[in-house]
Amino acid sequence: MQLNRKAASAAIRPDRRRRWRYRGRLATLSAVLVLLLPHWSFGWASLAVPSLSPYVAVAAAIAVRSITITALLALPVLCLSLLRPRWFCRFACPTGLLVEMAGRVRARPAACGTRLPAIGPWVVLLTVGGACLGYPLLLWLDPLAIFSGCVNALRQTSGRTVWISAAGLPALLLSGLLWPGAWCRRLCPLGATQDLLALAGRELRRRGRPRPPTLPSWRMLRRTALGVGLGAIGAGGFVRALSGARPPRLRPPGAVGEAAFTGLCVRCGNCGRVCPSRIIHPDLGHGVDLLLTPTIRYDDAYCLESCRRCTEVCPSGALLRLALAEKRHTVIGLPHVDMNVCLLGDDRECALCRTHCPYDAIRIVFSETNYSSLPQVDPGRCNGCGACQVMCPTSPIKAIVIQPCS
Amino acid sequence: MGEKYSRRDLIRMLGASGVAAGLGGLAAPGHAPADELVQNGGFAGSIVQPEAVQSTMTCPTLVDGKVIQPRRELTVFHQTDVLVVGGGTAGVTAAVAARRSGAAVTLVERYGHLGGLWTGGLVLVVIGHIVKGGKQVCQGIGEEMLRRLDKVEGGIVHRQPGVNPTVDAEALKYVMVDMVEEAGVRTLLHCWGVDAIMDGNTIRGAVVESKSGRQAILAKVVVDTTGDGDLFAAAGAPYQRCKYSIGLVSRIGNLDKVDDAKANRTKIPKGLGAITPIPGVNWVNMTGPMADGLDVAELSRLEMNHRRFIWKNVQRIRSTPGYEHVFLMETAPQLGVRITRMLRGVKTLTMQGFKAGSRFPDVVAVGGAAGCNHDEWQIPYGALVPKNNVENVLAAGRCISAELKMADMVRVIPICWITGHAAGVAAAVAVEDRCHARDVDVSKVQRVLKQQEAYLG
Repeated sequence: MQLNRKAASAAIRPDRRRRWRYRGRLATLSAVLVLLLPHWSFGWASLAVPSLSPYVAVAAAIAVRSITITALLALPVLCLSLLRPRWFCRFACPTGLLVEMAGRVRARPAACGTRLPAIGPWVVLLTVGGACLGYPLLLWLDPLAIFSGCVNALRQTSGRTVWISAAGLPALLLSGLLWPGAWCRRLCPLGATQDLLALAGRELRRRGRPRPPTLPSWRMLRRTALGVGLGAIGAGGFVRALSGARPPRLRPPGAVGEAAFTGLCVRCGNCGRVCPSRIIHPDLGHGVDLLLTPTIRYDDAYCLESCRRCTEVCPSGALLRLALAEKRHTVIGLPHVDMNVCLLGDDRECALCRTHCPYDAIRIVFSETNYSSLPQVDPGRCNGCGACQVMCPTSPIKAIVIQPCS
Repeated sequence: MGEKYSRRDLIRMLGASGVAAGLGGLAAPGHAPADELVQNGGFAGSIVQPEAVQSTMTCPTLVDGKVIQPRRELTVFHQTDVLVVGGGTAGVTAAVAARRSGAAVTLVERYGHLGGLWTGGLVLVVIGHIVKGGKQVCQGIGEEMLRRLDKVEGGIVHRQPGVNPTVDAEALKYVMVDMVEEAGVRTLLHCWGVDAIMDGNTIRGAVVESKSGRQAILAKVVVDTTGDGDLFAAAGAPYQRCKYSIGLVSRIGNLDKVDDAKANRTKIPKGLGAITPIPGVNWVNMTGPMADGLDVAELSRLEMNHRRFIWKNVQRIRSTPGYEHVFLMETAPQLGVRITRMLRGVKTLTMQGFKAGSRFPDVVAVGGAAGCNHDEWQIPYGALVPKNNVENVLAAGRCISAELKMADMVRVIPICWITGHAAGVAAAVAVEDRCHARDVDVSKVQRVLKQQEAYLG
């Protein structure tokens, strides 16, 4: 009798749980569809997506040694993950949902994905190790960042770049199709973060009770130490390699130092999407580690003196949150004038750079000795907003060009 | 006394008898030179009868070491509806526009030609009438000038859509004379508007100085197109005054005779300038130092320095192999003064508004951008009207109400012609409607402007 009841409740419970899970996933699916709509004005929601990831939040907090406001969004996810293993994967993760759906397209599910060793925890440990040295190695593997990167790239219709910067999610979908489960269960650092959190939660809840024999703590500790150590060494090597050779790039205002930036940036594309001037573009073809990091290009618009939006939407703190007054003093780069190109060098009539400088940082200075004028930039006032470069009438080469500060 | 003397006689007599203030009539007149001329030759027809002058002393006198200008009556040269002071780009456009709108117009110009800095300053390239995308927004009478230049051989070059054209100064002077004559504008050259005639806070005309002496021209509305805002300043309108780059433009010739065999193509000498409609002739711009364009000592110093530099510069070019035949064709008759006074008007053009594309209900002109890389921007009627209660004087040209940051946008040729056009039409409408220029019906002004093919957005 008792056995029967137990069996019955066991039969009902998974059913009910499944129903809830379906409802949850249906909600996620509709949310995802809304976010994917090309010109949906409800944009802030998709901006918040990468900020939900505790993987990004924790690693970034370690790397920048502070907690940003956007990271607070990840806190509830983190706390719940201590109690419920992988609840986010089951109920909320839009990437997971899409990858799983891709896997179901196939008639006979392949099992090869599950044969893969669990790489996810190593990714997490390496990244945390790197974060200790300020360079979270594999932060960009976060599934929410990959999802946002795709959504944002699709919204920022600008030709070829879109297809490269939106490729992350399709790649994961392809992996889901070929090796179902491989990404979510074996690779995904967000899933692995939840696993590790659940493990920690279990340890916390266990308190005085004896340790189960399945997972000896020393082994876990050794593994953790190894992962973190390797990450730190890798990050150290990376930082050293980066700080040397490559010329610096123009980054959005508030960007942390160039070496840390490439590590901290999750390539979610949020900054590029909110930019009203559309001057923030994903970097293509300047090295693998720089791929899809946001760079500034002053083609036909400049960094507006009235705007600080890019600094508000960074989920990882790669761009520091700046007040408007701070942003106006945050140097993106400095203009360099080529007098061989400048119209004034040939005594043609022009003062457009001076006229359009929002910070009054450019003067036209006349020299009695060679009897000609040239634009002179006051580095104390200039923040490299690019207004001068945009307005410079010389073509195809601009006489005044913002260059990154080295 | 009853006898009448010419002014010259009076001065000569005073010179002979020392400073005998007010005693001109006491000295007995000597021999009359005019009579002598009549007796000595057949020039009777050339004799100009000396003008009647007042018997009282009219020239300044020294009183306690100070130079005192005595009170005196001025000859009223004539009366008109609209007096345009300054025959530059804005002035010619304003005069033609006002005349075409039905007002009687007098145009006063200090030099012997029309066109101001566009012709006499050799600012030959027209920049600022095109917006992003290549559309030309500055139309109206200025565009008519360009169209007339199209028909003159060697009148204009680079006249393609979306490109800044370059005009020939002489062709333009010719075209402008044609236009003011056709319109029926009474034009006085060699005549310098020096002061405002006020009736309370309302301007009633201007004092002009010329070889005919100091005379008055009475008018219902005065349009100040002096560039320096001389008239509105004299009338008591508020303004800001600033220093700006002052240069001197020149033209060099024989550039088509450069010997390519000798010249090094990779090392073209600097300072060759830009092409003009005349083959082999370039115009050479000069930015020059920041200076006060209202300081005659400074203007003189600059003019002399600039001339010295231009001469040396051409010698440098001539010393370059292949460029031996290049020569200095002319220096501009007018010094390139860019900005001096700017009116403080009812409305002021701001950089912020320019960038934001501010729209005004009283828009009377639409400007473009020097680099053809900005959207159109509106100029309100309020930018031509003084902020204080000085009535019936309108500013047009480079001295309209704008913040200094906007100076480079405002001081270009097309903006001068569109603001001139607007001021001319507004002045004529004010005369027709018998109201102050400030209270003019702007919608009517806009309507007339559109009839005269101005573009208002």
